[in-house]
Amino acid sequence: MENVEKKMREEAGKLLADKKVDVVIGYERGTLPLTATPCFITSPEEAEKLVYDATCVQNLAKFAHDIISTHREAQKKVKPEDKRKKVVGIVARGCTSRSLVIHLQERQYDRDDIVVIGVPCNGYIDAKKLSAAAGGEEILEGSISGDKVAVKVASGEKNVSLGDVLADNCLTCRFNNPVISDVMVGDPAPAKPADKEFDKVDAFEKLSIEERWAYFVKEMSKCIRCYACRNACPSCYCKTCFVEQTMPAFVGLSADQTDTQIFQLLRTYHMVGRCVDCGSCVSVCPMGVDLRNFLKKLDKDAFELFEHRAGSSLEDVPPLSTYRENDKEDFIYHP
Amino acid sequence: MAEAMTTDGWEPKIIAIVCNWCTYAGADLAGISRIQYPPNVRILRVPCTGRINPFYILKALQEGADGVLVSGCHPGECHYITGNYSARRKFAMLKRYLTYIGMEPDRTMFTWCSASEGDRFAQIIKGVTAKVRDLGPARKFVKTL
Ligand code: SF4
Ligand code: SF4
Ligand code: FES
Repeated sequence: MENVEKKMREEAGKLLADKKVDVVIGYERGTLPLTATPCFITSPEEAEKLVYDATCVQNLAKFAHDIISTHREAQKKVKPEDKRKKVVGIVARGCTSRSLVIHLQERQYDRDDIVVIGVPCNGYIDAKKLSAAAGGEEILEGSISGDKVAVKVASGEKNVSLGDVLADNCLTCRFNNPVISDVMVGDPAPAKPADKEFDKVDAFEKLSIEERWAYFVKEMSKCIRCYACRNACPSCYCKTCFVEQTMPAFVGLSADQTDTQIFQLLRTYHMVGRCVDCGSCVSVCPMGVDLRNFLKKLDKDAFELFEHRAGSSLEDVPPLSTYRENDKEDFIYHP
Repeated sequence: MAEAMTTDGWEPKIIAIVCNWCTYAGADLAGISRIQYPPNVRILRVPCTGRINPFYILKALQEGADGVLVSGCHPGECHYITGNYSARRKFAMLKRYLTYIGMEPDRTMFTWCSASEGDRFAQIIKGVTAKVRDLGPARKFVKTL
């Protein structure tokens, strides 16, 4: 990873120095131990602060969309002769690159609006798992070397294996190398046991209907509707989200739990063919709602029914914007 | 609402979201031909099944419907050519998803019924009403506040 980090800084610096991009979106050290936070650099000198390792969690594609759409909006007020393009460089691992592909498929911006610095990915640390591994104590210091994570807590030092604290979505990730890139940094990451990716969904499907409902109700009752999941999601980019529409109001705002259930059901349903399983929503959720269990079902069904994997190829069309005449219709009722 | 909560004297309340060009005309034909079907259904007319936001279905359930039926033109016969093909994909995903989270599959039904199928329309309503009656009053997703 050291090597990847070094090369990534070089590439980012070069792109900025050559004026090929106006900004590079990457990660920098976070303020807490073993964390990284998204950062935006605009000069080659700043490239030194970029980091890339298992502490980089958020899907950065969100910011590419934000920057480009804000810029385009601002350009509407500019005289034609003063109009300029803004090119965004972005550090992208597998899931980030898939989100970029989704944006491109959905015509959010053009391919030449972004320069993709592809990086291989071996998975990132799930803060909740790490905290549990540290006995719930506050982590004072931490470091990663190879597949070992060393953390210092008030009661002493602890060593955990990196594999034990990786996020669930990373463990069975099928796309841990970028699907598109302009410059690729480092060697491709080794494949993960991706054949197990739907195991949890398969197991959940086998539960009884009442057990499934009870789990859904239990998980959704934790949700405080802070909308952090939506804000973190690169596929949630609507200018006015359905939860904020008031004329007419789509989703109720009462304390009735069905309002929250319907919000969740709809937000996740909006992810049909659009969720890349990056885990950003799960990682930002302050209440630990198991969103992945539900999102992964949609992923599985879209694959089963339409052979579609979100953002896996630029040639694909979003599954709900197209059809086949012989699409399965075993769910249609015939009296 | 209150009487719908108890089972005695309870009658299923079904919202049928139908497209203007086929199923609505089919319902009309059933009426003109004086074919009897259960009065449990409330018809909501939309231009095309492609117009139906899955949210409508959830909203109906939330507001106290015991079942929701969606019906449009047969595949290949949509007035807007492909509306029902797109709708079919949306509903295929939705129905599986609702079942996955623990909703009874028979509460949300999808079918096709053309303008000439007055008889089929009556059969559909009979069938759906019977299924929902078997399930009993809706308990999941029903807003009580
Ligand atoms: S981040 Fe968690 S608590 Fe906040 S709205 Fe999403 S699921 Fe609910
Ligand atoms: S729904 Fe969650 S896991 Fe899926 S793309 Fe959005 S943030 Fe990533
Ligand atoms: S017009 Fe009937 S389904 Fe499109």
